[in-house]
Amino acid sequence: MDISQIVERISLKIEAKGHAADKPKIEQKLRRLIEEFGVQPEDAERTVWYDIARDYGIQLGRAAGPGDQKQINSVSTEEWVTIEGKVVVLGNSPSPSIAYSGIIADASGAIRFVVWSKASVPVIKKDSWYRFESAVVDEFKGALSLKVHSGTTVTELEVDGVLIPVITPVAELAAGVASVHVKMIQEWDVSHERMLQSGLLGDETGTVKFVIWKEEGIERLTPGSVYTIYYTLVDEFNGRHSLNINTANIVAEDGDIAVAFGTATFKGALVHIAPGSGLIKRCTVEGCNRVLSRQNYCPVHEMQPKFNYDLRVKGWLDDGERTEDVLMQREVVESLTGMTLDESKELAENNPLGMDEVFLRMRERILGRYLRCEGREIDRWLLVNSCERIHFEPTLLAELLNRTGGEVS
Amino acid sequence: MSTPATGGFPKRENMFEREPARRVFAGEFREIRVQFRDGTDEKSPSYALLPTGQRCNRVFLVGSMTEKKRQGEQNMYYQARIADPTGTFFVSAGSYQPEAMQQMARIEPPAFVAVVGKPSIYETPDGMVMVSIRAESITIVDREVRDCWVLETAKATLDRLDTPASGPDSALAAEKYHIDTVTYRKMVYHALTQLKF
Repeated sequence: MDISQIVERISLKIEAKGHAADKPKIEQKLRRLIEEFGVQPEDAERTVWYDIARDYGIQLGRAAGPGDQKQINSVSTEEWVTIEGKVVVLGNSPSPSIAYSGIIADASGAIRFVVWSKASVPVIKKDSWYRFESAVVDEFKGALSLKVHSGTTVTELEVDGVLIPVITPVAELAAGVASVHVKMIQEWDVSHERMLQSGLLGDETGTVKFVIWKEEGIERLTPGSVYTIYYTLVDEFNGRHSLNINTANIVAEDGDIAVAFGTATFKGALVHIAPGSGLIKRCTVEGCNRVLSRQNYCPVHEMQPKFNYDLRVKGWLDDGERTEDVLMQREVVESLTGMTLDESKELAENNPLGMDEVFLRMRERILGRYLRCEGREIDRWLLVNSCERIHFEPTLLAELLNRTGGEVS
Repeated sequence: MSTPATGGFPKRENMFEREPARRVFAGEFREIRVQFRDGTDEKSPSYALLPTGQRCNRVFLVGSMTEKKRQGEQNMYYQARIADPTGTFFVSAGSYQPEAMQQMARIEPPAFVAVVGKPSIYETPDGMVMVSIRAESITIVDREVRDCWVLETAKATLDRLDTPASGPDSALAAEKYHIDTVTYRKMVYHALTQLKF
């Protein structure tokens, strides 16, 4: 055991408590104990730290000593902790100041970790067990992570036995790291050139967005398939979660999952119909179904002389307090506008304005109308399953007349 | 971890809340005198302050178009009068609102119309204040939609009148407008009595 490392460790703890560390003095005390009195370095460290802490009046609570040994799922931010776990993911170091970054797991859960280059640690290998003594927990965007710094002792452990990952229901996901058992239910258009795939995963408790970034050797998920995804990163944006599954261990499973969609109802006036509504053309490549541009260009499969016609409406439903993005599929559009897909095709083919004519006629029929839409809330969209016009309610009129207090209020 | 895992996310669209279209009667709308920007940025949204104490960046209204005029030579635009049970809205659509302009071109008054637009306040050199709406879209609707709008706008107005004053918007409204809530209640009552059970 190198005494200077112990000095460093104690100094950091003192500084973390807001005091100045007198390193030569700490070293002197340690050397006296270890070299003159033959005290084991661990005991010497403990004695010196307690000594100094008492001098400074530092409360020796949970952050005392090397930090309490904890289960990974019970650590909280700014704590000094000691944990034992298995390195389940080891990634490339994103910068020279970081020696390792990855995910460490125990039977209770998993957490991201970063090992600073300044820390003196043994070689860290994936699938090996380690004890991180006196690591610091910090928080970034709601996700906890462990910082292994020069004051942390890392020891490799000999552990037999299998680590069974905890599977988290989708509805209970929190920012950090999790393992999920899910079905891929939707593939979305990618919104960024570095994105390989994005879409929606779900289990019996709810749905969550996922992203796969382009990387060598990484594969897409297949819509309709069931997967167990071990140790995915869970990010949070605006209170919504998103899984970044690039580093996760993905296992395709048999069977099926009955996915629970959140249903929602929204009432309001349709105040906007977005371009791309009305009659649209979809790519015919199997499993694609993306919307083609006017020139029959698919964002993935390029020019597509063949296509399928479809109807949809993208718009904003507004109740005066809030605006909700709504997306209506063919059946809903047909019943709401009274224009069928076949009629719309015929109209487009026999009219000088083509598909625009369908858009304009639909706009005339539904823009500015009061609608009650019911559907699934997915990301920021309300995917409408059923939609009806709101009619005048005499009971509401009576209620409001009473509320005004009458003519001579 | 893979390199794009942190920091490399593309900016997501619509991180902001879209501005809802407020429901307001012509009788209240014509009293607007205060307009402000939220922030100093060129792109910060501009709000009109309703006398009942709510900021408003967009409105939705349904009424009867009683008159439509073509104005201007080089920069042609339409101006329309749209009546509700409490007064008249002045609605315009020019070349900066091509969608609304084309829609307006095809509407012949009288007709019930639904309008989505932005409030605009303009003070003439001699101190006259012109309060109007720049239309984003305008469509012909039927009487039932108009009746639903009157109900909804009555409710929204009563809600604003009944909300205890709190926050900077109602404080500013209290300072700038001296509204008589009894008059506003009467206006709402009068609007509701135009509807049939």
